Amino acid sequence: MSAELGYLGLAAAAELIRSKKLSPVEYAEALLGRIARHDSRINAFIAVVPERALAAARRAEAEIAAGHWRGPLHGIPYALKDIIDVEGIATTAHSKVMTGNAAARHAAVTERLEAAGAVLLGKLSTHEFAVGGPSFDLPWPPARNPWNRDHFPGGSSSGSGAGLAAGFFPAALGTDTGGSIRNPASMCGIAGMKPTYGRVSRRGVVPLAFSLDHVGPMTRTVRDNALMLQVVAGHDPLDPASADEPVPDYAAGLGQGVKGLRIGVIRHFYAGDIVGHPEQVAALDEAVRLFAEAGAETREIALPPLQDFSACGQIILAAESYAVHEKWLKEKPQDYGTRARERLLAGAELRAADYLRAVRWRLELRDRTAAAFAGIDVAVTASSLDPACRIDDDAALARNYWRQARMPFNVTGQPALVIPAGFSGDGLPLSLQLVGKPFDEATVYRVAQFYEDATGWTGRHPAGLAD
Amino acid sequence: MTEDWRDRARALGLDRLSDEHLAQFARAAAGLQRHLERLPRDLPPGQEPAHVFRARGGAA
Repeated sequence: MSAELGYLGLAAAAELIRSKKLSPVEYAEALLGRIARHDSRINAFIAVVPERALAAARRAEAEIAAGHWRGPLHGIPYALKDIIDVEGIATTAHSKVMTGNAAARHAAVTERLEAAGAVLLGKLSTHEFAVGGPSFDLPWPPARNPWNRDHFPGGSSSGSGAGLAAGFFPAALGTDTGGSIRNPASMCGIAGMKPTYGRVSRRGVVPLAFSLDHVGPMTRTVRDNALMLQVVAGHDPLDPASADEPVPDYAAGLGQGVKGLRIGVIRHFYAGDIVGHPEQVAALDEAVRLFAEAGAETREIALPPLQDFSACGQIILAAESYAVHEKWLKEKPQDYGTRARERLLAGAELRAADYLRAVRWRLELRDRTAAAFAGIDVAVTASSLDPACRIDDDAALARNYWRQARMPFNVTGQPALVIPAGFSGDGLPLSLQLVGKPFDEATVYRVAQFYEDATGWTGRHPAGLAD
Repeated sequence: MTEDWRDRARALGLDRLSDEHLAQFARAAAGLQRHLERLPRDLPPGQEPAHVFRARGGAA
């Protein structure tokens, strides 16, 4: 029963809770039990908050019993990457630097989830400050990949991805500055959405790079992802980058299929600019074939080279993240882990003129991408170019940072969703990335739902976590 | 080599970096340099950067 509840999706659980066939308290207890039994091998959590969770579950149960069902997240357990504030709980950013940093108030996204009646289970592992990892020199160990514990779970939202694949919760939030939602989604075989820049408030989230940071939902299925984005999306006047755009019903078009849609294929990202692992490339080619067979119009489109997006994004990231961390790097550099310190020092000598050149170049890249998207509805491309490498292989981890096609959409700000696309011969997840026009997450979800239904990859779960 | 990087770090106010940290600083700077080499040098002078700043309207 525990494993069944562990891998129960958000949408399915919501229907059972609404119809009073599933008790939010029993659900939370079952997941807390799984976490207690298995997380010492996965390290998804920095902190579990069982008393808080059970109190919230009891409140949800009483409200629903009294006829006050708030919506699909009412009574649903969730967890947060530990750079997102929860009032009264420490936000550690997985770093010694942040020791003793209890949050004074909720992040905007936490406010929205709490108002929806969701049940917080705890705070999740991340690469230190969402930038440097995996690290073995921090106060908490790095998360492990449930598909193979010797392998990298992706990052920086590593605990979010690992915990979902392990069946610890049906929904989590991650953040994505250069791919940190979509990388663990690829490595752990789950669904991770980086929404349009400004779609979800970043207030109360430890910044990494102001103009590249995004908050987004991570789940096991596409529908669950759409339901969670529905709750956290929307304008926040206290986030200076928040967009005052209407929020559509993200689940409304999920069953419409892809017939008649124009799907662009950015093949040069994974078969030209960089050449992907053959199994990953084959999975992408098969996805394109499926879309065409189902009546979509597919055609290759050309964007600027992947390396241009990477360079532009990394320069902006270096400058903005150094601005965030300069004080601490001067005062207590020894408190950072090795990987984060090295990445953050990159911005120390960056010239203002070069930073501004990068943010000017960014608009050119954005506009050239928009022109390429003018004749299509959605694009498909790679996320990771390879399956997960070993977590102790430094050279392979270094390659992992560059063999990816995620940064382009942090640079342009477009919505980008990663979903599972099969498995390698070694049993590790493969993935694909669907990219939409700004604020058109709904069409991205529509295409993703078709693919998920057509392939069934989300029905598989890692071994060894059955109880 | 280390002294050069120590001087550069001190000029930036990073005077608590250990030798190991200075080696990281050098590697990080070299990594960023590869990206800087791709920056276009011929952007038109009038081409503005991406902004997120918005002036607040009305009287405060």
